[in-house]
Amino acid sequence: MSQILPVVHILSKVLMLFSAAFLLPLAISLGLEDGAHLAYDEAIAITFLSGAVLWLLSRQGKRELQTRDGFLLVVMIWTVLPLYSTIPLLSYMPDLSFTDAYFEAVSGLTATGATVLSGLDGLPPSINIWRTLMHWIGGMGVIVLVVAVLPMLGVGGRQLFKAETPTPMKDSKLTPRMAETAKGLWVVYAIVTVFCILALWAGGMSWVDALVHAFSVMSLGGMSSHDASMGYFDSVTLEIIVMVFALIAGISFSTHFMAFRMRSLLAYRFDTEIRWFFGVLGISILGLTFYLLYKGFYLDFPEALRYAAFNTISVATTLGFSTTDFNIWPYFAPLYMLFLSSFIAGSGSTGGGIKMLRAILLYKQVYRELIKLVHPSAIVHTKIGTQTVPAKITYAVLAFLFIYVASIIILSFILAASGLDVFTSFTAVVAMVNNTGPGLGQVGPASTYAILNDFQIWVCSFAMLLGRLEFFTLLVVLTPVFWRK
Amino acid sequence: MALKLAGMSWFDAICHAFATMSLGGFSTHDASVGYFDSPLIEGVLIVFMLLAALNFVTHFLAYRQRSLMPYRHDPEVVGVLGLVIASCLGISLYVWQAGVYPEFLTALRHVSFNLVSIATDCGFASTDFNSWPIFAPMWMLLLSCVTASSGSTGGGLKMIRTLLMLRQGVRELEHQLHPAALLPVKIGGHAVPNQIVFAIQAFVMMYIATIVTMTLVLLASGLDFVSAFSAVIACINNAGPGLNEVGPGTNYAGLNDFQTWVLAFTMLLGRLELITVFVLFTRAFWRG
Repeated sequence: MSQILPVVHILSKVLMLFSAAFLLPLAISLGLEDGAHLAYDEAIAITFLSGAVLWLLSRQGKRELQTRDGFLLVVMIWTVLPLYSTIPLLSYMPDLSFTDAYFEAVSGLTATGATVLSGLDGLPPSINIWRTLMHWIGGMGVIVLVVAVLPMLGVGGRQLFKAETPTPMKDSKLTPRMAETAKGLWVVYAIVTVFCILALWAGGMSWVDALVHAFSVMSLGGMSSHDASMGYFDSVTLEIIVMVFALIAGISFSTHFMAFRMRSLLAYRFDTEIRWFFGVLGISILGLTFYLLYKGFYLDFPEALRYAAFNTISVATTLGFSTTDFNIWPYFAPLYMLFLSSFIAGSGSTGGGIKMLRAILLYKQVYRELIKLVHPSAIVHTKIGTQTVPAKITYAVLAFLFIYVASIIILSFILAASGLDVFTSFTAVVAMVNNTGPGLGQVGPASTYAILNDFQIWVCSFAMLLGRLEFFTLLVVLTPVFWRK
Repeated sequence: MALKLAGMSWFDAICHAFATMSLGGFSTHDASVGYFDSPLIEGVLIVFMLLAALNFVTHFLAYRQRSLMPYRHDPEVVGVLGLVIASCLGISLYVWQAGVYPEFLTALRHVSFNLVSIATDCGFASTDFNSWPIFAPMWMLLLSCVTASSGSTGGGLKMIRTLLMLRQGVRELEHQLHPAALLPVKIGGHAVPNQIVFAIQAFVMMYIATIVTMTLVLLASGLDFVSAFSAVIACINNAGPGLNEVGPGTNYAGLNDFQTWVLAFTMLLGRLELITVFVLFTRAFWRG
């Protein structure tokens, strides 16, 4: 018990802070008189009080955090906050089961964007704001997680990215460094979000819609205030704005931060991922456009390009908006988009999947092994940019990939065994693990996850957390070794 | 001999013995082994398929030493037999529960035969397992990726690589907790050099990347998802029948020329363990 006390202590502070998040939907609810304000009163009270009680109870256990505590803290934050996030949903919609509400909240905070709710257009605006505010807060958490916390914990070769983080990494204590890194990144994140809100509003959205969609885009979440997602607006201008901001959010925020601090675009030139990011996306979009034209799905080039570009960027960056039901496209196209979503997003972005940097490293490592077969005694280094990657990190990245693939296979099997068809199980698991949102088949963009049974919903919630916490973080806490002294 | 005793004609016995020992899977009958409908023949085949799925070096050692000890020392044997038996029981229960077969024993009979046949990459079928609940045949295909031993006539990743990858995954998890600890990856009491673990990881990644790419290629050429995916898996593992349009009840003739070429290439890739083929595509190979 004394082991987890310091972690609980920090968690209690996070909870008290988190209760403030309900203020925004509360204010909007009161301002628009949409009748949902009681839900937030309740949520604020419960969250703050339980935070305060935990804080009092765990006061004794205060001490400096160690690596082990780091894992536990991250896992606890990502499982406990969704619990409290369900309060407004459950309170406003008494028919919603706890399982579904927790799924919705996990999907919110992991910025996945899968939903069990339909009839979104009829929900009070403040509830929709809350759903995507969870995305946005989750996005903030993700940035800090992937840029500051995971490299320190050494998850899945994340040490590689240490060099790129803005503050010097000499200090071995957890908290001060995290706080400073976080602040810088959040400022950038917040500024870009404000621009995104303004752009969407100028592009013709109402204030509420602009807010909802900006939160969703910046965190690469994917929930929307309309059942038809972005297809509701049917506006090329808005689609272009969303694409631009989704691409921005798909690039590492530490690169944005560097560019912001140096007031120059040079930082982007030094980011190895960016070339691949735009290269792969550009080629894929053109390829899919021609494929859809060739299959006769769209009749003229601009139309095909419009739909292919928006939906590809949206799925590949793990945002998950849709402007059309791409489930009815020839199978190859949506599956290829899901495939992209597993590696396109940048390493310090709000996107999911294995991240571009790991994909590049994997490709180089495989190539290296081939060269070694031709020249067995040659010493070949794996390089990213100008940096040589130590063997230990390549190792960790390969193990990460193995766990990634193994998780997808195992979880797909579990869903298939529980009665879903193979196609739906597989695409649902990929969409969950990559934090994309819509899958294909029965969980395609035109339908929701409500058709799944309780067991399947829990599997999906677990898959989202697994993907968001980069597998190791969650798995390590589940090993017996972790709890041994 | 065993097959003849169990009731096959000499001709059938020779054909099936060849197909079994090489874990090939061609039969003289469209209905494959289902034609004989004899539990005895199926039992004989199961035993020989499992034998063929073990490392022939181990067989050789056992033969020379006239003892069963080498099998005890081969870590793969435990893995292969354990996994196959556990899966047989599990899938039988599952298929029985799902109501495909009214009796557990019938379920066990059909499941063991088809599961062993697919998992060892042999590819005989005694029933159209495509009509089972989709989880069962998918699981069998998954087994076909990992079950056969190195040095056997089966295909896929091979059991030894699977074991190594598992150990490596566990080691990385432990590394998360004790970053400075030196933890060797051990197989059957021997520490495996990092160099080899590395090469195997790269191999597994190539294997997965190939499956994904080939599946996407087949999809683009118009096949449905389950057919494309299962066909690629079946071909790269040299197992034989896939599912759906290429399931055990049908054959690969339904594919167009392009798809057939893709799959022929995939079979070669799998049999030559990928790297042998891929290395031909690097510039370094052709230089000087």
